[in-house]
Amino acid sequence: MSNQRQASSASQTPHLSPAELSYLYTSLSLPKSPIRPDGRSPTQFRPLTAESNILPGTNGSARIGFADGTQAIVGVKAEVEKTVLSTDTLASGEGGESTAATSGHGSWVQMSIEIPGFRDDDALPVFLSEMMRESLVGAVVEGGDGGGDVMMAGGLKGRLVINKRWHWRLYIDVLLLSQPLSYPLPLLSLTTHLALLSTKLPKLKSQGEEDPFFDDDWEVAEYLYPRGSKLKATSGLASQYVRPPVTLLVVSVGENVIFDPSREEIAVADAVLAISVTRDTEAGNLKLLSIRTIDPPSRLTQPAVPNSENVNMLGATAPTEDIAVLNPATGEEEVPGVWRPRRGGVKRSVIANMIKTVLKKGGVGEEVLEGLEGVEVE
Amino acid sequence: MKSLRRDLSSNPQASNVASKVFVRSTKSGKVQKIVRELYLRQDIPCSSKLCSLCPSIAPSDANGNIAPFVLSDRPAGTKAFPRGHYLVPDTNALLNGMDLFEHTGAFYDVIILQTVLEELRNQSLPLYNRLLSLIKTDEKRFYLFFNEFRLETHVRRGPEESINDRNDRAVRAVASWYEEHLGASAKKGKKEKSVPAIVVITDDKGSIKKAKAEKVTALSLSDYVSGLEDSEKLLDMISEAREARDSKGPIGQLFYPEYLSMSKMMTGLRAGNLHQGTFNVSPYNYLEASVKVPAFNRPLLILGRDNSNRAISGDMVVIEVLPQDQWKSPSTKIVDEEAVTRNDNPDSEETEAVVSQNERKALQEEVKKAHGKNAEGKPQPTARVVGMIKRGWRQYVGHVDAGSTGSQAASGRRQQTVFVLPMDKKVPKIRVRTRQAGDLIGQRILVTIDTWDRDSRYPTGHFIRSLGELETKGAETEALLLEYDVQYKPFPKSVLDCLPSEGHDWKVPVSKEDKGWNGRRDLRDLLICSIDPPGCQDIDDALHARKLPNGNFEVGVHIADVSHFVKPNNAMDLEASVRGTTVYLVDKRIDMLPHLLGTDLCSLKPYVERYAFSVLWEVTPNAEIVKSDFTKSVIRSREAFSYERAQLRIDDPSQTDELTESMRNLLKFSKILRQKRYDAGALNLASPEVRIEADSDEVGDPLTDVKTKAMLDTNSLVEEFMLLANITVASKVFDSFSQTALLRRHATPPPQNFEDLINQLSKKRGMELDVSSSGALASSLDRCVDPENPFFNTLVRILATRCMTSAEYFCAGAHAEPEFRHYGLASPIYTHFTSPIRRYADLLVHRQLASAIGYEGEDGHAVIEGVNTRGKLEDICRNINFRHRNAQFAGRASIEYYVGQALKARGEKMAAGGTDSGIDEEGYVMRVFENGVVVFVPRFGIEGVVRLEDFVLPGEAGSRSVSERRELAVHRTTHFDPEEYTLRVEEKGHSEKERGVDVELFQRVKVNVSSVKEEGRGAGKRRVRILITG
Repeated sequence: MSNQRQASSASQTPHLSPAELSYLYTSLSLPKSPIRPDGRSPTQFRPLTAESNILPGTNGSARIGFADGTQAIVGVKAEVEKTVLSTDTLASGEGGESTAATSGHGSWVQMSIEIPGFRDDDALPVFLSEMMRESLVGAVVEGGDGGGDVMMAGGLKGRLVINKRWHWRLYIDVLLLSQPLSYPLPLLSLTTHLALLSTKLPKLKSQGEEDPFFDDDWEVAEYLYPRGSKLKATSGLASQYVRPPVTLLVVSVGENVIFDPSREEIAVADAVLAISVTRDTEAGNLKLLSIRTIDPPSRLTQPAVPNSENVNMLGATAPTEDIAVLNPATGEEEVPGVWRPRRGGVKRSVIANMIKTVLKKGGVGEEVLEGLEGVEVE
Repeated sequence: MKSLRRDLSSNPQASNVASKVFVRSTKSGKVQKIVRELYLRQDIPCSSKLCSLCPSIAPSDANGNIAPFVLSDRPAGTKAFPRGHYLVPDTNALLNGMDLFEHTGAFYDVIILQTVLEELRNQSLPLYNRLLSLIKTDEKRFYLFFNEFRLETHVRRGPEESINDRNDRAVRAVASWYEEHLGASAKKGKKEKSVPAIVVITDDKGSIKKAKAEKVTALSLSDYVSGLEDSEKLLDMISEAREARDSKGPIGQLFYPEYLSMSKMMTGLRAGNLHQGTFNVSPYNYLEASVKVPAFNRPLLILGRDNSNRAISGDMVVIEVLPQDQWKSPSTKIVDEEAVTRNDNPDSEETEAVVSQNERKALQEEVKKAHGKNAEGKPQPTARVVGMIKRGWRQYVGHVDAGSTGSQAASGRRQQTVFVLPMDKKVPKIRVRTRQAGDLIGQRILVTIDTWDRDSRYPTGHFIRSLGELETKGAETEALLLEYDVQYKPFPKSVLDCLPSEGHDWKVPVSKEDKGWNGRRDLRDLLICSIDPPGCQDIDDALHARKLPNGNFEVGVHIADVSHFVKPNNAMDLEASVRGTTVYLVDKRIDMLPHLLGTDLCSLKPYVERYAFSVLWEVTPNAEIVKSDFTKSVIRSREAFSYERAQLRIDDPSQTDELTESMRNLLKFSKILRQKRYDAGALNLASPEVRIEADSDEVGDPLTDVKTKAMLDTNSLVEEFMLLANITVASKVFDSFSQTALLRRHATPPPQNFEDLINQLSKKRGMELDVSSSGALASSLDRCVDPENPFFNTLVRILATRCMTSAEYFCAGAHAEPEFRHYGLASPIYTHFTSPIRRYADLLVHRQLASAIGYEGEDGHAVIEGVNTRGKLEDICRNINFRHRNAQFAGRASIEYYVGQALKARGEKMAAGGTDSGIDEEGYVMRVFENGVVVFVPRFGIEGVVRLEDFVLPGEAGSRSVSERRELAVHRTTHFDPEEYTLRVEEKGHSEKERGVDVELFQRVKVNVSSVKEEGRGAGKRRVRILITG
C-alpha cells in the first residue's frame, strides 16, 4: 500500500505474471488490429452513466460512473472575491493596469481531488489536480479572431473577471467514490468537464467598475461556459462551441494507439500520454492544449527470462525458438513471447498518430465531446 | 462513446419534494446559492367553515385541538357575487390598497397566500407588518394559507417563466383549487349550501387575461371596489403609485435626477465617496435639510429641492458632497412652504418647474449671505441626495388646502386633485386625488404618500380617513397621537385576560404561607409615604427613613412591583413593550398598562398593602452610603402627599410625629445628595415646561390653568432618591448581567454642538461657556446671569440643553464601559428603575434585578426572567427610545395645542366684550433670522416665529387683523446683522431711527400673544400669533 501511495504515475499495476503481460502485449500490439482484453476497438470507450446537476447546493455538479464500478462526483462552487493588485502594479501607477485584473489569474481556479486511501497531499491527487487545472486555466481563446465568444475572451480565467476590482474564485471539488481501479484521470476529467458545463454564475446586475451586485433569481443565472444561441442548437450544429477542456488518456502498445485503457492495458503500455483538448472556435476544430507523459507502470514489472537464458530450461528448447526480433515500435531487440519491462520512449510517428486520432474531424476528441454534450445539462 | 442518464421519473416520492432556489448576497459581499427543500403535504386546511373535508385532516396540536377555522360559512355577497365570496388578493393589490383591506366596511374573508405574503415582505416591510397584524385579528377573517407547502397548490416554475408570472400562476392555482375543493366538500356534505365565489384581485392585466382563460374569477382592485357600496370613499384609498405610472405613459418633463442603482450606491458607500444618513428638514426652512453622517462630525447641509431630490424628512438617503464652490452657509431666513408655494395648482404638471421662481429667489439671497465675510456664516459643506436606501414614509395627518380644490369643489363627485398640507411642517404638501374634496375641506384627515416620481414636483398620496372637524378636541387629540405614533387603541382582550381574575378585589394574601409571600420581606410596619404631583393615580414610588440603633439611618425607596403582575412574554408584556411608555397629554393619559394595574393593583396607594420592590440603604448622618440592599417586599403606605402638602407638613413646626420626622430626614439627606451630585459635575438643565391643571371650573379664565412648574424642595427630595435608587440598581444589574443589563446613557455632546451658543454668548454678553466637561459646563452656566433679567439664565440653560444629545436606553453589551456615562447626571452608570407603571424599561430592569438578587418568584422557578438575549434587548431599546421621544413630543404638542385653545377661548370671550386684544406678556428672543425672530414666552412655555408683519412699529396701531398685517410685510425692510445677531425692522423709505424696531438676541421684548385664525389658503388653521410690541 505504501508504495501505491507514493505512486505518482499510473503504476497501480495489477499482479500479472510476465507471461500474462507478454500475452497482453502481443495481442495489443498486433499491427492494425489490436485485440483488447474486453473486445473493444482501439478508440472505443467503456460505457458510462452520467448526470449533471446532482448537487443542488453547488453552482454546477456532475456524476459519472464507469461500467467497472468506478464513480466520481464533481461539485463546482463559485465565490466573489476582491482582486488584490500586486504591489508592483500599484507602484507603476495609472498606466500599469494589472494584467491579472483584466485577463484573470490561474490561481482563481482551485481544484481538490479526493481519492479514497490517499491523503490530499499525496503525489497522485496533487499531480492529477495540477494536470487538470493546468489545461483549464491554460485554455485561452484568442479574442482577435472574431470567432470566439466575447464572454469567453481570455478563456476561463477571463470569464472569471467581474471587473477590475472583483473576480470569481472557482472551487472544483472532485471526489472519487471508489478505489482507483484504473488510472482515474479520464474519469475525473470527464466528470469535471460535465460539471463545468452545468456550472452557472449568478447574473450580474451592476455595471462597470461598481461593486458587484447580483440578481437574486437563480433561473436567470448564466452558464460559466456560455451556450450558443438556440438557432444553432436546432440546426444541429454544436450548441456550444467553447467547451471546457477534456483530458484523454492514451496508451501506445507497439504501433497501436489505444484509448480509454483499462488497468491491464496500461500495465503493458509502451507509453502513457494525457492529452488535453478543447474546442474554442465556432468552426468546431479541436485544439490541443497539452500533452503530458505519464510514467508507464510497465517499467516496473518483473522481466521474464527467455528459455535460452534459463538454466532450468537449458537444452529443453531449440535455440531457434527465441531469436531476438527487433520491435518496430521501440527499436529494441526482444524475444517474442518473453516479457521485458518497457524502458520508455516512443516513436515520433506513434505520437503523431495519437494526436491525429484525437484531433481529426470525426476523431476521438470530437466523439467524446459530443457524447458528453448528449448528457442533458439541466 | 455512450452515456446514459439516470432516470428519476420512476421515483414515486419525487413529486412530494420541491425546492426553492435563489441567490443571496450577504453584507460582506459573498454571493451564495441557497436551496431550500420543500416537502409538500396535504394536510393544510382550507380553513373555511363551509368545508366538511378539512376538519378531519387538519393537523392538531398536542391536546388534539385543531386551529379554529377562519373563513366564514356565510361570507358577504356583493351585487356581482350574490352567493358570497372569498377574496384572494395578489401582491400588487395589497401594495396598492392596503388601506382598503384594513377598512372595516368591506374586505372580509380574505385568503392571504404565503406566496403573496413573502412577495410583499420583499417589496415593503411596513405593509408586510400591517398585513401580519391584520391576519392576527379575528374580526377581519384573514386566513394565511400556506399554498407553497400544499401539494395541490404548489406551483413549479416553468422553464423561462419569470418569478412574477409564476407567483401570479400560484395565485390562480389556489383560486381554482379552492373552488374545486369547496365544491367537492359541498357535494360530499350533500348540504345545499351554496359555494361562495373565489375572487382573485390583481392589478396585473396579463394575469386577469390568463385567469379568464383558466376560468378563474379575477378583477382589478378598482373594478372590485366599484362594485361595493360606498365605493367612492373606498376608491380614494387606492394607492396612486401604480395608477400614476400606468396612466401617464410617456413621462413628461423630468424634474429630478434619477436615483443611483443599489450597486452604485454600495460601491460609493464602501469607497467613501458617498454617505448615508437620515434626511432631516430644518423646522424653520423647508428648503434646507441636514444629514448627519458618520464620516464628518458636523451634519452636511442640503439646500433646495434639486439637491433634496424627492427626499422627505425621515428618509434614509445616500448623499454626495458638492464641490466647494457650491458650499453655503445655513440659511438665516424663515421660509415657509405655505407662503412660498401659495399659488401652485395641484392639477397642472406642465407649467411648473421644479424650483419655482419664488423659491429660486429665496435661495439666491442665501447664497449672497454665504459669500459674506463674517465668520459664522462661513460656507459649510453642502451635499445632494443621489440615492434612497429606505423611505421613512408613514401616514401623515393634515388638512386639505382649500385654495387648491378649485371652484367647483363642492359641486360634484368628480375626481379632482387637491393638496394636503401635513401638520408636520417638514413634510411637503401631498398631492391627493379624491372624489370627496368638498366634504374634506375643514377636516383633519389622514393621508399617506405612495410615490414621488421624477416628473412630479410634489409627492403623490392617497386619502385614508377623516379624523373629524378641524380644531375639535377629538380630532386634534387623535391627530397628535397618530402624528407621534402613539398606540391609543383600547387594550385587546388577550391583554386584559392577563390581569388577575380578582380585579379590583385583589389583595396581598393574608397568610404568610401563601406563595405570594415567597421571597418577600414584610415591611408593613415601616412608616412609608409617597409624594407625587396632585391628583396622581399611578403611584410608582414611596419612601421612608428611620434611625437605626447605631446612629445611622435606614432609607428606603419602594417601587411598585409591576413585574409581579406582568409576566414575561405574555400578551400584556408584549403590548407594554410595544407601547414602551405611558403618554401624558393635557387631558388624556394613554396608559402603557391596563387601568386596573396602573392605578390600582400596582399603584402604591395609601392605607392598603401592596407588593413592592424595595431598595434599602444604610446611610450615615452625612449621607454616606454604608450598604445597600434590594428586596421584594410588602408595604403599607401611610399617606400619599402632594408636593405642596408634603412641603407644608415639613415646614409646620407643630407636626412632630414620626412620619413627618422621617420626611424631614429624607429632605435633609436629599439636600446633601444633591450638593454631592452638583459637586461631581451634574448639570441643572432646564426645559420650557408648563403644567396645565385642567380641572378648574369652566367659568374662569382658562389661561389660569397654565402654570409654570414650581420647584419645591419636596420635588427634589423625591427626585434625588429616585436618582440614587436608579444608580444603585444600575450598578447591581450591571454586576450580574455584564452583557444584557438594560442601562441608560447620556452621551457627552461633541463640543462643536455648542459652537453657535458660545459664539452668541460671547458676542452679546461677553460670557464664556466652558464645555470641556459637564462640571465645567455646569459652573459656567451658573455664571451666565443677567442681574436685570432673571430669566436669562433659564434661557441659556434651555438653549444649552438643545445642543446636547438625548439620553438613550441601551444594553450593556452595546457600548464599552466608559461610554455608559450619563453626562447630565454626571454618573458613571445609570438606568431607569423607579417608574415601572409608566415605562417599560423600568419593568425590564425590575426583572433583571429580581434575577440578580436570586428572587425565585411565586412558584420558585422563575429565576431568569425576561429578556436575556442581547439582540432582542437591542430591539426593545430601539423601540423604547423611539417611544420615549415621541411621548415627549406628543406631550409638548398637546400643551401647545391647549395653550392655543385657551387663548382662543379667552379671545372669544373678549371679543364678545368688544375687543380681541390678546394678552401682553414678556418674551425672549431665542434666534434671529433675516426676516423674523423666534421668541420664547415663558409664561406659556411656547416659542413662536415672529415674522416681519408681526412687528408693531412705533406709532402704529397694534391690533390689526391678520390680513391687514399681512399687507404690511411687503412694505417693510430689514437690516440683519448676522454677526451681531440684531435685526432692525422698518417701513420702506422711513429709515428714521424712531420709526423702526431693533431686536437682538437674548433681548427681553414685550409681546402680545393671541390665537388667530389663518385666512385665505390656510383657512381653518389656527396659530398662536406673537406680536412684538416693544
